[in-house]
Amino acid sequence: MDLLTTSVATVESEREHYTLVKLAGEADVTNCGALRELLEAEVAKQPRTLIIDLDGLRFMDSSALHVILRANRALDRQGGVLALAHPREPVAKMLRLTAADQLIPVYPTVDEAIAG
Amino acid sequence: MPPCGQARTATMAACDVAYSAAAGVPVTGTLRHLGFFYQTADEYAEVVAGFLRAGLTAGDATFAAVPPAKLSLIKDALDGDAPGVEFADMTDMGHNPAWIIPRVRAFTDRHAGRRVRYVGEPIWASRSDAALREATRHEALINLAFAAADARILCPYDTAELDLSVIADAAQTHPLLLSGGRHVPSPAYAVQFHIPSTCSLPLPAPPGDAMSLTYRANLSEVRALVFKHAIDAGLTEPRANDLVLAVSEVAANTFRHTDSPGTLNIWHNADEIVCEVRDSGRITDPLAGRRMPAPDAPGGHGLWLVHQVCDLVELRSDSTGTTVRMHMAILPPLPGI
Repeated sequence: MDLLTTSVATVESEREHYTLVKLAGEADVTNCGALRELLEAEVAKQPRTLIIDLDGLRFMDSSALHVILRANRALDRQGGVLALAHPREPVAKMLRLTAADQLIPVYPTVDEAIAG
Repeated sequence: MPPCGQARTATMAACDVAYSAAAGVPVTGTLRHLGFFYQTADEYAEVVAGFLRAGLTAGDATFAAVPPAKLSLIKDALDGDAPGVEFADMTDMGHNPAWIIPRVRAFTDRHAGRRVRYVGEPIWASRSDAALREATRHEALINLAFAAADARILCPYDTAELDLSVIADAAQTHPLLLSGGRHVPSPAYAVQFHIPSTCSLPLPAPPGDAMSLTYRANLSEVRALVFKHAIDAGLTEPRANDLVLAVSEVAANTFRHTDSPGTLNIWHNADEIVCEVRDSGRITDPLAGRRMPAPDAPGGHGLWLVHQVCDLVELRSDSTGTTVRMHMAILPPLPGI
């Protein structure tokens, strides 16, 4: 079984336009290259909003965080917004200690991230 | 020669520029880092309160972080002047001595453009030997971290309680000593940045019954082992996760910065669990993990997180490799739980 699994859904409706990336498992220095490729591909599609659902993520290290911060910068430059949703406590704590939660909005649920 | 000696000059220059830019103030190089060796509570209260009061009179931003009993002495002596001073319990703020420099840096940043007076007492007799070594290292690093700061830093040492060897190290880490109301140069202080040799002695070997694992890319296995051992040793789940994060960050450095496997050793006793990671990498910056990186900085978060989540971190690095020893206290369960 892969350490990190991902899935992507794009929602285009009258009211909502967003891309939802779900991460599950553990994201660290050994697999963050694949995460980078995935996020770069999604950012290249120029979504208005890119939401990363962290609910299934048991662990994230600073290498994986850097990949997300990079995606945030790239999206920000093209006028999009990146948001994080539903981090478990260990991941939420890491986002606080690095102050990444000051750069990227973090929401308790995906619905709240969609509502912005 | 201290292990960080080779990188000394470059590191100092880099720190000066970074810190002066971060604080938004010009480089002045007017740090006065004073050791104060006291014997009685009366002497302590008079001198420390006098130091802070002089700062208040001059319009300096003043901050005192000392153990709780000493906080009371200072506040009583300052009386009506106490509200002008920011206070912190050093047994919290400096529980891990590596937390102190970022906290004082936050204070100086908050008062950019003003002279700062800070009383810091990170060393007390009941600290473990490892914590005393790291607190002594912290005292030496003050000279590096605040070299360019317009700051007066007073560090009291209780000579009635502390071992002579601790006082001897304090004489090496403070350029000036406060004696009879005067600032006198400390003869033991070396002008070149120097960490007392007691801080850099090789760590004692892990106990024979330590659990050992060789790792490279199997970081998930590293994390699972640390988590299981931490829970078995009696850590709460949040603190077990803290230790998992710390060990994983250090092991990630092995994966990223070396081309050989690393070794993890885990052991515990009734008081603490210790995880030690050894690899062939080298860390030359003595302040690594003691500066909060900008959130979008391309690196530097790993060791920052390691120091933030652990109770104590010991790091030894030289041409043969790096050892990082991470300590977590096993706290007794709260009453009624």
